Amino acid sequence: MQVARFQFWLLVAPGMAFLIAFMVLPLIFIVVFSFWRTESYTLIREWNLDNYITLFTDWTYIKFLLRSLSMAAIVSLVALIYAWPVAFFIARHGGHFKLVFLLLTSAPFLTGEILRITALQQILGPIGVINMALGAFGLEPIEALMYTSTASAIGLTYLWIPFMVLAIYLSLLNFDFDLLEVAKVNGARPLRAFWEITWPLNRAGSAIGIVLVFIPTLASAITSQFLGGPNGALYGNILAHQFGATGTWAFGSAMGVVLFAISLIVLYAVWKTVGDLKRSGVTLKGGAEP
Amino acid sequence: MSTKFTPAILLVMLILLYLFLYGPIGYIVYVSFQRDSIWPFPPHWTLDHFASLWDQDDYHAGLGNSLAIGVGTGAVASLMATMAGIAVLKYRVIGRSAVAGLFLATLFIAHVLIGISSLMFNKMILGLPGNIFSAILANATYATAFAFLVVIAQLARYDWRLDDAAMVFGATPLLTFREVTLPLIWPAILGAFIVSFLLAFNNLEISFYNLGATPTLPTLAWGSLRHGISEELYALATLINMAVFGFLGLLYALLRTGLLKLDYKE
Repeated sequence: MQVARFQFWLLVAPGMAFLIAFMVLPLIFIVVFSFWRTESYTLIREWNLDNYITLFTDWTYIKFLLRSLSMAAIVSLVALIYAWPVAFFIARHGGHFKLVFLLLTSAPFLTGEILRITALQQILGPIGVINMALGAFGLEPIEALMYTSTASAIGLTYLWIPFMVLAIYLSLLNFDFDLLEVAKVNGARPLRAFWEITWPLNRAGSAIGIVLVFIPTLASAITSQFLGGPNGALYGNILAHQFGATGTWAFGSAMGVVLFAISLIVLYAVWKTVGDLKRSGVTLKGGAEP
Repeated sequence: MSTKFTPAILLVMLILLYLFLYGPIGYIVYVSFQRDSIWPFPPHWTLDHFASLWDQDDYHAGLGNSLAIGVGTGAVASLMATMAGIAVLKYRVIGRSAVAGLFLATLFIAHVLIGISSLMFNKMILGLPGNIFSAILANATYATAFAFLVVIAQLARYDWRLDDAAMVFGATPLLTFREVTLPLIWPAILGAFIVSFLLAFNNLEISFYNLGATPTLPTLAWGSLRHGISEELYALATLINMAVFGFLGLLYALLRTGLLKLDYKE
């Protein structure tokens, strides 16, 4: 036991040291910097609350934050609703092709955000193929697709829905589909069986999926920059601005801290409401890794 | 009645999702071979966009830098993730869930936060300038989380008693790892490397904040997109997509032959 403990900590030590040094510490320091101020692109250690006061009193910033929050809520919800049947199909009816089906939903994620946005712009923009085709047939272009928040929402769903499918699928791997047969034998219709068995027993997957889509959407900047148009700027665009043109790092840090705090709150809230395993009465099937 | 229809409806939804995901990619690949990029119908095939991509020197530099970031991140992330993955699966000691939590935590942190926090931390605390090295460090934080997931998924069913058996016959831990464990788990390590390599190679937000003026393919693509349509960008997208799908084909072959199975209920 003593040896096992030693070997365990020996193996995890490099990764832990790395993550603490290059992830945890930097995140702690943006909290510190958020109470400083910036002068001509340099952080100055003069403790103050001005950044937060501006953030919470200036209506401009509140507006962008609310816009990003509602965007994240809508995109997560759409992704959740669409990903469920897809993940269910792959897990239940995928047979020998499960892995192919799953990899095909995840693959585009690995090509990177910017190239995926480039591809979408060719489809959605004013000279994108949809509106060009409508024009070729003498029809009116669809305004909603041209540099609007709708276009951003489509783009963000496009970017992050693979995470939702993956999370729900992984949850369904440990799900005993025989339970649905039992429900059927006992006369439950498919939808009722879904609501009373499949959904509650796979809450953890839904919860993880929601968080994995919500957090990057809340912070997103690139999608709205290229698809959202002049009036579609989100919180992430304003945040990025503090580190670009204006160089106000202290204020940007405060914006980052607020973003991080909201992520944590959402993580906690989603876990408590959707993912609460105890309330849903989940017992993992024997032998499966938790 | 609905029971018979349900799988068919679900299949249609899956196909529609594939159309949504691959339609834009397929279209940009098509456009990259067309003379007229705005309305490429009927088709006029050409390789001009690839030639003009090749003629731009900054893309050569960007490719080199992206490769360096990808390989560096992939090496660091897959090494740390493999060690931790083995530890978490093999030893049932107190604290293993907390350790696993730390390794997965970056999945729940927005990339822009990793980007700006490491930018400021490196500059203000460590005194490091933005360069490829600091970009590798920042990318490795979240790439390790993905690599860790791949390793855990692949090795979930590995039988650690094989190692114990080797030790019983007098093999040292290192010899056991080289002769018994490694030959069986290398697909997991390679899979972790491929995924973390691709993520770092194509990353924009984290690299952007940590690189200063050093170009990578994603930052060049971002700059090009800001200045409106540039056709060599479509050629770049085509090449990167082909490379990514090539790698994923390899990964799929590994998953099929490896121990793993993401579908381990078969």
